[in-house]
Amino acid sequence: MDRRTFLKIAAMGSLSFASGCSSQPDKTLFSLVQAPDDMVTGRGTWFASTCRECPAGCGIVAKNREGRAIKLEGNPLHPINRGRLCMRGQAALQGVYNPDRLSKPLIRENGRLTPISYEKALSIIQDKGSDAAKKGQGRVAVFTEMVGPTLLSLFKALLAQWHSETPTLFEPFAYESLKLANSQVFGIDGLASYRMEQADLLVSFGADFLETWLSPVEYARRFQQMRAFGSGGKGVYLHVGPYAGLTAANADRFMVCRCGGEAFVAFGLIREVLEKISDSSVSGDLVEPLKRILDPFDREEVLKLSGIRQSHYDLLIERVLSARRPLILGTQGAGAGENTPATDVASCLLNALLDPDLTLIDFSNRHTVERTAKRSDVLNRFKSVTDGKVDLLLLNNIDPVFSVPYNAGFRKTLGQDSPFVVCFSSFMSETAALSDLIVPIAHPLESWDAYEGKTGVWSILQPVMGNLVGTYTLGDLLVRLAFKGETAQQGYRGYLANDLIRRGMIKDERDWIKTVQQGGAFDGLSSEGGLSSKVQPSWSWAGTLSSAIDPGASGTIFAAVPSIRLFDGRGANKPWLNEAPEPMTQVAWQTPVLMDSHTAAKNNIRQGDVLKIASTWGELEAPVYLSEFLHPDLLVMAVGQGHTAYGRYAKGFGTNAAGIFPPDTHPVCGGPLYRVAPISLTPTGKWLKPANTDGSRVQHHRKIALTVPLKALYEHQEKGHPGLGMWDFPLTLPLPEGYDPQRDFYPPHDHDGYRWAMVIDLDRCIGCGACAVACYAENNIGVVGEKRILQGREMAWLRIERYLDEADPTRVIFLPMLCQHCDNAPCESVCPVYASHHSREGLNNQIYNRCIGTRFCSQMCPYKVRRFNWFDWEWPAPLNFQLNPDVTVRSKGVTEKCSFCIQRIKAAHGKAKDEGRMIQDGEVIPACAQTCPTDAFVFGNLMDKTSRIRKLMADPRAYQVMGYLNTKPAVIYLKKVIRDV
Amino acid sequence: MSENANPLTFGDIDRRVLATLAPASRGYWAAVGLLAFGVLIGAGCWAYQIAAGVGVAGMNNPVAWGTYLINFVFWVGIAHSGTLISAILHLMRASWRNPIVRAAETMTVFAVCVAGLFPFIHLGRVWMVYYMLPIPNQRNLWQNFQSPLMFDVLAISTYLTVSTLFWYTGMLPDLAVVRDRSTGKKKKIFTIISLGWTGAQEQWRHYTRAYLFFAALATPLVISVHSVASWDFTLGVVPGWHSTIFAPYFVAGAIHSGLSMVLTLMIPMRRIFNYEKIITIDVLENVAKAIIFTGFIVAFAYGTEFFMAWYSQNPVELEVFRNRPFGDYAAGFWIMAVCNTILPVVFFFRFARRSLSILFMVSILVNIGMWFERFVIIVTSVSRDFIPHAWGLYAPTWVEFGIMIGSFSLFFFLFVLFVKHLPSVSMTEMKEMLGKRGGHGG
Repeated sequence: MDRRTFLKIAAMGSLSFASGCSSQPDKTLFSLVQAPDDMVTGRGTWFASTCRECPAGCGIVAKNREGRAIKLEGNPLHPINRGRLCMRGQAALQGVYNPDRLSKPLIRENGRLTPISYEKALSIIQDKGSDAAKKGQGRVAVFTEMVGPTLLSLFKALLAQWHSETPTLFEPFAYESLKLANSQVFGIDGLASYRMEQADLLVSFGADFLETWLSPVEYARRFQQMRAFGSGGKGVYLHVGPYAGLTAANADRFMVCRCGGEAFVAFGLIREVLEKISDSSVSGDLVEPLKRILDPFDREEVLKLSGIRQSHYDLLIERVLSARRPLILGTQGAGAGENTPATDVASCLLNALLDPDLTLIDFSNRHTVERTAKRSDVLNRFKSVTDGKVDLLLLNNIDPVFSVPYNAGFRKTLGQDSPFVVCFSSFMSETAALSDLIVPIAHPLESWDAYEGKTGVWSILQPVMGNLVGTYTLGDLLVRLAFKGETAQQGYRGYLANDLIRRGMIKDERDWIKTVQQGGAFDGLSSEGGLSSKVQPSWSWAGTLSSAIDPGASGTIFAAVPSIRLFDGRGANKPWLNEAPEPMTQVAWQTPVLMDSHTAAKNNIRQGDVLKIASTWGELEAPVYLSEFLHPDLLVMAVGQGHTAYGRYAKGFGTNAAGIFPPDTHPVCGGPLYRVAPISLTPTGKWLKPANTDGSRVQHHRKIALTVPLKALYEHQEKGHPGLGMWDFPLTLPLPEGYDPQRDFYPPHDHDGYRWAMVIDLDRCIGCGACAVACYAENNIGVVGEKRILQGREMAWLRIERYLDEADPTRVIFLPMLCQHCDNAPCESVCPVYASHHSREGLNNQIYNRCIGTRFCSQMCPYKVRRFNWFDWEWPAPLNFQLNPDVTVRSKGVTEKCSFCIQRIKAAHGKAKDEGRMIQDGEVIPACAQTCPTDAFVFGNLMDKTSRIRKLMADPRAYQVMGYLNTKPAVIYLKKVIRDV
Repeated sequence: MSENANPLTFGDIDRRVLATLAPASRGYWAAVGLLAFGVLIGAGCWAYQIAAGVGVAGMNNPVAWGTYLINFVFWVGIAHSGTLISAILHLMRASWRNPIVRAAETMTVFAVCVAGLFPFIHLGRVWMVYYMLPIPNQRNLWQNFQSPLMFDVLAISTYLTVSTLFWYTGMLPDLAVVRDRSTGKKKKIFTIISLGWTGAQEQWRHYTRAYLFFAALATPLVISVHSVASWDFTLGVVPGWHSTIFAPYFVAGAIHSGLSMVLTLMIPMRRIFNYEKIITIDVLENVAKAIIFTGFIVAFAYGTEFFMAWYSQNPVELEVFRNRPFGDYAAGFWIMAVCNTILPVVFFFRFARRSLSILFMVSILVNIGMWFERFVIIVTSVSRDFIPHAWGLYAPTWVEFGIMIGSFSLFFFLFVLFVKHLPSVSMTEMKEMLGKRGGHGG
């Protein structure tokens, strides 16, 4: 952080400290009549806070312009995400500005919801709580989402007054099996974090660490530190599992097996490892029982039970045995199948065998989502509610009615008169719709709080903007419920500061301000060593290993998986997340059920056919998407959609899989069952056009997304004679030196000090789509909705093209496609009015005011990145408050496209001019590059010979997409490196 | 011309042509009303599109050009043959064209008018269309004369101006004839629009010179206007568009469709106005022969495109030309191929050339084929161009069909008004033709 930024944040931090949380909501968000002294109109102020879209706890900084938060970026100081965000984090703003936010408490009277005041709501809760407390012990129950320790202690204090137990922390994805395995094998009942970047081989048995697993932004970064060619990583990643989501698609080899067969692959691996290792570093206590238990799982047995391909299995063994620092990750963690605990335990044991010192596992800085209750405990606790032992039920921002199998009783019990259900929620979720009192609470971006994403990493939440709809923060409400007098007077912010002082996180007020400014207290993060662990004796884990059952017996299995876009469903009301296509299927706004394409062909099922899928517990209807990434006996569906409430963007879209799963939990680990068999499939005769944004799954042997074998990079490359064909056309820089009178008719452009360009490393890109959503947020891109996507009118300026390898369709390559800012742009010459125009700095500018909408540029663009505004797009209030004031909102009838975030370039120009210097390398970072968790984008000035991108041009992997058209694109791609595995 | 037993006299010509200007029947006005209603449908659809956004049409990314530009090219093509018949054949002294020259020229003028509407309908912000005019402004914004659309503006407006002047000049002596034979208000109007034509020797001398000059001026325009329209496509990089044969290919195609449209218009007109003696079957036969010729040029162009795609071995080109006959729009391609190149072959048979029903049917089908040719070129190329991820399909919506109905209605509306209110056969040139054979006797 430079001095200016520090001073700005310091100023605004103290300001917000002084005026942060008033009980009276501001009447207007923006009023220059009484503007703060240090607020400069037109200049953004950044507030550090914490993302609460999933339990990972990434740090954010929010850009506030004239009183409105308009953009979230990762907090560069935050040790978890180091300045990066995923697409859900980018879209958190659409939670604040969601047009379906509730603003007044609602009470159910005679079946109708009536608005009441907060005072009234609080007194109702107080009365009900006191009444319940009078009846005896444990008459009040609290179920809350994962919250920070301070809020949790407040809940505890409140419940203690009502003679009740501690609150139950409920998260739909609670990693029960992984926790069980860690506790059985390492004696630590929690979720360790992994030093993935130090490994040279990573094997995952289903952990989707690039999507939702534990802390996806953090692990995406660590993963590419381990693997990406550009960062010197030479690691290899192998994924064993029944289906490939985004994480498996990024594996160097995806090894498909039966659903539940991973356990036997892991068993087989342990056997092979045991045979190989003879040294005494591994204790005999571990080896002997393992040999005994796993004796039946020889090669043939493993191949038979798991269904893994023989060549894959041999490769896996060879790689694991030859690796110097292998790291084995367990299952997906979001929900269990029968063999999930066995797989997780086997993975932990493998780590213990392969690396007895467990140097790659960090038991000190654990993921605090470990504090959430097991699903079985949640259900047990809820059973006491169902049994009438509870009079007052408080639910904080959870939606079990949506996310828990329908037969588990939430639906029924919440719908009854007793107990009295209070739901703290900003939205009319399915759960809220069944509650007796709905108390809207302020969004985390409007609240004071503290959150601990990993043990020792304390993040502060501060209001990054004024209170939008007049809701109170949960903390303030709880403080007023739990305390009287001074504590109640000072509100939750004071309570929080005192709590942090008590915990020793901060020393005094000054320290508090500093902590708020930098977004938290991160000193507790230990880099090395810390808590050690010892492998537990076999009696604790042997039973789990033996619990594995033959997965081949169950026939076709239906599985649900967490969604990178919508997580557990909480993202479903955010238009950007629905509009961003799912990375693997490229389907937006819909929830298809994935089916193996060969199985579908055999059964005469086409893409889009709507199937009725029924299990013993329920049924659902969903359109089929034909996939190449599934075991033939598996159907997969993402969770997140299929809401029957939760606002206009969620209600009625897609399908919710929760209804067809058994209400019971896994007998060993207590996790929810996200796999179900047997199922019956019936075609309904209906057909639903898939809203996919891709026109083809393969690149038809064109020079688009290229790969290069790792070996070839180390060999001397014979440079062929450059020609004019697709493959022998040379790299032509968008600079005068890229012009050759033999090829070029027109003279080169004169550039004025700068020639902006971008390098995209395909070896680093994991296809997560965070960049695309960041682009929506930064550039006011219209959301068009399902119908218009079906018509091919999505407006994304940046899209992730997903191509399957033509030779091996289980290999995937992702390519971020945006305006290439060609030096010889086909779009520029055809515009009759110069709306498409080459700037002095090489940018291909689009002048919206000048555009008359001939769409000639769009037709001519070889990359098809230009977007036409077919209509005036809508931002239902208050979503319009999020619009970036530095970027024009385009009207119908004009063409738009990526501008390389020209508003950021202009801002840098202003600053550089003030200081009388040139813009420095790295000073301008477009929104896509800023948020990329794996650093795939590099932006800079090509005319600066020392700039990073200029150096990257010399990379032997550099090429231009369809460069033979002689468009001289300023976006240079680096080929994806294929490890020879 | 010797087929008719009673050779035409100058008087016959005047009588027959002037008879068409007699007060119209109720059926005629019903047809005019119906066509006006069609025009209103089109206008209504356009108004709706302006209010709601171009999204009410079916275009998308990647196919950002749809029926509006298909119809634009189609109507420019129709406009072609009028000038070809009136100017080029005039210069070549092919006097068989004299009976149909007026109708063909009128067709040209109206077709250019209709064609000229489509770029406006196509625009995203038609209310800003004046940005395309070089109006001085304080920001010194100028037009991009590199853009083929600016070429279009110039080419189409020049063509409209020249063909209108040519048409009007050619009509002057005939207007005077109408003036001389009418009374009342009609006489007054025709007195004004015949510009004081008296038939003096000096006037005739100027007239024939002017007509010849206009013919000479219009002839290069026949070639240029559709060559320029083809540059809208060929100057870009899109596979299937970026090709040097486009200019001659488009000109030939335009003449092909224009000649067919001449047949489509002449055959009913001849029947309704008893022009059998004036527009003889021989004239129609000559048009049919020309259609064979243009059909072959077009077929050769189609073949050349496929050959070039194969010869280049460029995967992008290959895919576009694989997709045309075998892809999503295969039906359109085969309609185009059969109607434009195979059907005209029937005109090798004399009976087909002289059968009104076959002539009429083939002319309609060639017009349909030529419409689909433009569809195939415009839509299939971009729907599968360079980046497979961006491929997509396009289908027109009801708004586009409404506007298409409106455009055809407008054309026929104007034409129907023309045939009843202005001499639809050039009496002057008919007389010239007869005069050479000594037919003066009326």
